[in-house]
Amino acid sequence: MNKSNLFIDGTAGDKGIMLGNEAIARGALEAGVGYASMYPGTPASEIIAALDKNKGNIKDLYTEFSLNEHVSLHGAVGASWSGVRALCAMKNVGLNVASEPAQFLSYTGVKAGLVIAVGSDPGATSSSNEQDDRWYSMHTYMPIIEPSNIQEAKDYTRDAFDISEEFSFGIVLIASSRLCHNAGVLYFGDLRDRNINGDFKKDPENYLNLFNMAVKNHAKYLKQNELLKNYLAESRFNKIINENSSKVGFISSGVIYAHLMEAMDVLNIYDHRILKLGFTFPISNELLNKFFDGLDEVVIVEEAEGFLEFQIKKIAYELGFRGVIHGKDIFKQTGELTLDDVISGVGKFLEKPLPVFFDFAVKRDKELQGILPSRSGTFCIGCSHRATFYSILKAVGFSNTEAKERDVVIAGDIGCYTLGLLPPYNAMDFLTCMNAGLGIGQAISIFDKKKKVIALVGDSTFYHSGIPVLLNAVQNGANVLYIILDNSWTAMTGHQKTPSTQRDVDGTPYSNPLNLKELIKSLGVTYIKSLDPNSVKRFALHVKSALKEQGVKVLIAKRECILQEIRRNKLLKKKDAAAMKTTSSFYEIQKLRCVKCNECFVELACPAIILKKDENEDMEYYYIDPVSCVKCGVCYEVCPNSAIRKVEFGSKLNLSKKISNKEVNGLSGINV
Amino acid sequence: MKRFNIAIIGLGGQGIITMGTVLKNAALNSDSQEVSGSERRGGAQREGYVETFVKYIFYENESEPNDSRRNMHSPMIEAGGANVLISLEPIETLRGARYLNENSIVIFNERPYIPISVRMGQASYPDISFIVSELRKITKNIFFYDLDKISTDNFNSLTQRNIIALGILFAKTSIPISPKTIENILLEGKSAEAFNLGLNF
Ligand code: SF4
Ligand code: SF4
Repeated sequence: MNKSNLFIDGTAGDKGIMLGNEAIARGALEAGVGYASMYPGTPASEIIAALDKNKGNIKDLYTEFSLNEHVSLHGAVGASWSGVRALCAMKNVGLNVASEPAQFLSYTGVKAGLVIAVGSDPGATSSSNEQDDRWYSMHTYMPIIEPSNIQEAKDYTRDAFDISEEFSFGIVLIASSRLCHNAGVLYFGDLRDRNINGDFKKDPENYLNLFNMAVKNHAKYLKQNELLKNYLAESRFNKIINENSSKVGFISSGVIYAHLMEAMDVLNIYDHRILKLGFTFPISNELLNKFFDGLDEVVIVEEAEGFLEFQIKKIAYELGFRGVIHGKDIFKQTGELTLDDVISGVGKFLEKPLPVFFDFAVKRDKELQGILPSRSGTFCIGCSHRATFYSILKAVGFSNTEAKERDVVIAGDIGCYTLGLLPPYNAMDFLTCMNAGLGIGQAISIFDKKKKVIALVGDSTFYHSGIPVLLNAVQNGANVLYIILDNSWTAMTGHQKTPSTQRDVDGTPYSNPLNLKELIKSLGVTYIKSLDPNSVKRFALHVKSALKEQGVKVLIAKRECILQEIRRNKLLKKKDAAAMKTTSSFYEIQKLRCVKCNECFVELACPAIILKKDENEDMEYYYIDPVSCVKCGVCYEVCPNSAIRKVEFGSKLNLSKKISNKEVNGLSGINV
Repeated sequence: MKRFNIAIIGLGGQGIITMGTVLKNAALNSDSQEVSGSERRGGAQREGYVETFVKYIFYENESEPNDSRRNMHSPMIEAGGANVLISLEPIETLRGARYLNENSIVIFNERPYIPISVRMGQASYPDISFIVSELRKITKNIFFYDLDKISTDNFNSLTQRNIIALGILFAKTSIPISPKTIENILLEGKSAEAFNLGLNF
């Protein structure tokens, strides 16, 4: 059999290169998963995406991009109780949203195996915090399994389903971004049959969780936890390396364990006892007793505040272990714990000299970082969010070139548009979690009557949990301008569809796109307008006039994500060569007219507008890079000096017709 | 066990992740081979810093793949641990200099992408000569090209820039992978052409 796609066709004996997220998805497939859902979130998004995009070729698999993590986990519970194995993935902060169902899961227990795959994000490179979700298990009692590499990501996920069924717990699989986005060789296993013909068997003793029944269930899962601890005393998931010798032992888990093993190799240390924990909750006393035997010192190598250290110190006390336990006295609590941090930490602790090349590189790096200009990400070229922020800033009288104080509070939220908080826009006054923008903003509008409040939200974030917030603002008389940046996709996590999505990238229309305007009207909002944000002057005028009104005003900045639009156009062009032959155009900056006012280069800051040197290299001028420009036309509208022109030509005739300057002036002379 | 570590850095939108994926997929040749290497996509928005690591691991005997002390590989490259650094943006090369040692080979794109801090006049962008002299304090093996120009001159677009750089990687370093493997992954078309273009540098 020709296996063109190992992810779905692979069987025992095959091997392939897989991403960590794909390996987790594959592990679920091998376990016979029937339900897979998530609300997209970096770094976990590809777990469900890998299953979703292949589901046409996988028999009996239900996938869902849920509206939020809360409903996503509830869906997984429903599947499990119907006898269908369920995988629910989310990012670190997603567990906050899902924490309510998570809190009940141990009380009620599961039927078919249920695994919650959490992508953690130490260093918060794509999250609004770097929380260590393992702490949740201190009260949810959900067991935690932590793979260290690609093979374990697959194998542990597969095995977690069995353990979930055996002990009636939902199992949390933690994969940090370094594992989610690692790639390595994966040896496949065979696929199990999938069962999605559910059969919900009534089980009131477990499922009706209130009053004294809840108390009884509480006792039940504490007992299950003890049984699991016994199982983990000898399981294949936890292993002790070098049982004999050594006075100092190391304990680690997950990706940090991989760092530790490589750090020891870099430092040439091979003789210490090491405990690799596959399960990091619960931890078996018996296992630790065996590990501690003969040790004087224990070093726990882990990220964040020290979840393992907390548990292990308690157990050590119970066991009467007299050695010293190190952890957060050596390794930092904040930011990502890197391979370099582990090398330095272990080296210093064992008083081993760091390799010369390593030492030199670290020092050189320190010197260099100080002299490099900082760099931050920004919106894609042609992104309509850039136009939206530009318009808002124009309307509220804030300009980057004169850094004056705004008297408007701009509430940020989570999504691509979050980048508006970065320079040059600096257009957010606070940003925390999903839908905090309007949630906090509505109260500010009640208590600070001197300032106007603008709250921003994306379509996906609005559908996630924004509807009750908006209703709350309306019902309680808040005074906020709510701008919904509706680009029809959950763009940041790889373009999953939202209720707003009208058409797929290939042009196929979706059957039931939501009418956002009608939805908002039904919540009691009377001031509501849907506008194209790329018409920046018009948009800015509407922001200005909306701010003059009382109550909750909604502006929908409606324009599809440019990346999706470009993808679709490419696909359509391939299908329909005739489309290629329509008129074409490009934008250019007329060197002689440009006075370098910086409106396009700094205020709008489209990356396609670059600084170019003259042939003789003595003069620098602004230039639209024709290879990068996607012809959104926004710069053309913002230039106050009519220096940017649109050049149109019909490729049918292969004749270029330039628009006269007069025409250009007429179009772009208005100032907001 | 032998390692060959490649750090690839650049900006969101330059195809850095793809380069890593292509190289990692070339690691299935023999049973004694492993690959590891993670991506940093957090800043993968346009113009944000992106890095990806490719670590080829070659086991030297049959026991190593089953030896717990040997068969676990960090997804990261340690400071000074890169055999090769490829960078698609000049100053980012210096941000990635952390991975260099005196024997490392550096291949970088000399086409600057001006960060917002420079646009706003808060910082200045150093000259290429400064970048080269700073790199020279670490290693003498430095190659740089205007890959944007090479890509647009040959393919009328920037999309092949990363693949050309992969070709150069095979031309200028002792990467222990056969270029044929890469050609098989890229199959044919523009990407294969771009790879071959780089290969002949
Ligand atoms: S038209 Fe102007 S703003 Fe739009 S992508 Fe091109 S250069 Fe950027
Ligand atoms: S907005 Fe117009 S005049 Fe100002 S820098 Fe841009 S092209 Fe030049």
